[in-house]
Amino acid sequence: MTVEEPRLSPRELIDHLEPVLSRRRRVRAVAALLAGLLGTAFVAALWLTEPGPLPGRTRLAFALFLVFCLAWAAYGGWLLTRRVPLFATEKVIAAWIALAASLVTTAVMVTIAAQRGTGVLPVLAAGAAIVAVALTLAVRAHARRAALLRRKRELGGGEEA
Amino acid sequence: MSDELLVVRAQLGERAALAELVARWRVPVWTYVRRMLDAERADDVAQEVWLAVVRGLPRLREPGRFAPWLFTIARRSVTDRLRAEYAEYAVREAAEPEPPAAEDPVEAMADAVADRADLVDALAALPVPEREILVLFYLEDLPVEECAQICQIPAGTVKSRLNRARRLLREHLEERGHRS
Repeated sequence: MTVEEPRLSPRELIDHLEPVLSRRRRVRAVAALLAGLLGTAFVAALWLTEPGPLPGRTRLAFALFLVFCLAWAAYGGWLLTRRVPLFATEKVIAAWIALAASLVTTAVMVTIAAQRGTGVLPVLAAGAAIVAVALTLAVRAHARRAALLRRKRELGGGEEA
Repeated sequence: MSDELLVVRAQLGERAALAELVARWRVPVWTYVRRMLDAERADDVAQEVWLAVVRGLPRLREPGRFAPWLFTIARRSVTDRLRAEYAEYAVREAAEPEPPAAEDPVEAMADAVADRADLVDALAALPVPEREILVLFYLEDLPVEECAQICQIPAGTVKSRLNRARRLLREHLEERGHRS
């Protein structure tokens, strides 16, 4: 029998896994998802708080913008679920970024609605819902990381992570 | 350091732990894939397995059961390549049900094959499902329950397949002039 071995060394194998582990791709995925989702909310808020009836072309532009934002959100979601799923600590960071971005978007949406004098409450409710989702994600991410850290300590893996 | 601790650390995002996990399981994964597929495809498929493992690792809920999870992923990639062979086997199995497991497969295997090198050589001659069970149970040292989980078959079927595999191996080795 000839002695066969894997062609790739451990180092080379890890190098080949780089696309899945790349920090840049993770940041890009989170940015695409957040920009897409919050952009959708922002454009929808702008459209809905328009004071008067809009001409057909403007409505078309709004609709195209919405589709564009949704496409980015779908791309980011696909990256994060299929291509570069985040590890526990990265999820915590991503969730805090999402929470901060949601708060800023909500504040901007509410300010615009207030300036236009068209229904602040529905915009506020929508913003609150987005912030609540981001907050839930942050709480879950923290809980998952805490559980892993606890298990790590039980297994004798020390505190650092 | 245990596999579970490495998995937990890797799930937290520690790259060093992930690298160690890959280094530790690189050869077992490749061995399984290589015994199931030809040399040309083995390296590519093993790499594909590792991509799927790293992508799935954050979602692994039971870090203590890393090995069966890893081989389930490896088996999926191998099965994709061997669809025709598995389909053929299913037809044959339906026509000729497996005999019940009569002996303890661990003892029986030690009895049938004295040398690991002989086993590896003879494996290539076996039908895919028998070969798969032998590789998982004998080369990868996985318990019957984990083999059953990986192959999605009852533990009884694992044992009967092991027995049939042992019989086939013995016949094959005898043909080549070996005596068990």
